[in-house]
Amino acid sequence: MTKQIDLEADIQRLLAEHDRIAEQGVTVHQRENVLILGGEVESAQRRDEICRQIAARYPDLEIACDIGITRTQAPAEVEEIS
Amino acid sequence: MIRIAAVGDVHVDKDVVGRYRPALEELPDQADALLIAGDLTRHGTVEEAECFATEFGGLAVPVVVVLGNHDHQSDQQEGLTKVLTDAGITVLEGDATVLELNGHRLGIAGTKGFGGGFNGACASNFGEREMKDFVGTSERYAAALRAALRSVEECDALVALTHYAPVPETLAGEPPEIFAFLGCYQLGQAIDEAPTTLALHGHAHHGSERGRTPGGVPVRNVAHPVIKQAYNVYQLLTDTVDTRDTALANA
Repeated sequence: MTKQIDLEADIQRLLAEHDRIAEQGVTVHQRENVLILGGEVESAQRRDEICRQIAARYPDLEIACDIGITRTQAPAEVEEIS
Repeated sequence: MIRIAAVGDVHVDKDVVGRYRPALEELPDQADALLIAGDLTRHGTVEEAECFATEFGGLAVPVVVVLGNHDHQSDQQEGLTKVLTDAGITVLEGDATVLELNGHRLGIAGTKGFGGGFNGACASNFGEREMKDFVGTSERYAAALRAALRSVEECDALVALTHYAPVPETLAGEPPEIFAFLGCYQLGQAIDEAPTTLALHGHAHHGSERGRTPGGVPVRNVAHPVIKQAYNVYQLLTDTVDTRDTALANA
């Protein structure tokens, strides 16, 4: 059984190493029995797959998913480099 | 004046195709070239590279990229590079290209780079073979960037394009414990040893947008989750004369 202290590390490795996820930019924080996920990914399918895989591995954990989908609009401003 | 569009960490796979395209179609009005700072794909497969080429190929401006760590995941860098090159995309690794834009010469030197850490918290090339291999890799990529930057002759502006970060300032927001996996100071040294105008990198999704090398070169983290739009646009050579006629520009 995974010790509480290792849980966030285990999930970070799952997110990076699981073939269907491969995400290194998702934050994982545990508050009591709720796992809070943050950061941004490139599609809603990826966000949903992250939650699905964590729920499958840790069925007793409640997941709060705050993962956003990174916006892809064109910029409205230019930065002058000097 | 030259305007450069830049983004990194787009992680394209089938589910992303079409998301960037509306903004990319606006590029000719926004910028003269598009630079992409690695992590073009999720797992570095040829199939994902084809998705990337579909999304970022066939644009009305030149596209120059470096690979990132995700693009190495499947050990298919050669196949991936061929797909991109066949789509008209310039892939840099330890080399450079020069683009003629508005009568100006824009040099772009690129490498993926590697981790290793920064002043006060960096790994040393000492001890176990594994540690020497790690730091040796950092040094090898930095040397490649140094050589690539120095290989560019007679350009009006010189951009260093990497995936890993050359300074810690643009990592602010990431846990300091992982800075050594996000970049290394040797890349910053290489940038400072050349007349670099701007350094662009990605990799640090929770990092910060702006920093400078110890030598004063502006550094921008263009990781997609940092810039939160399809690409940023940077304007260089603001006070220069724009012309496609070299004789007129030199008059």
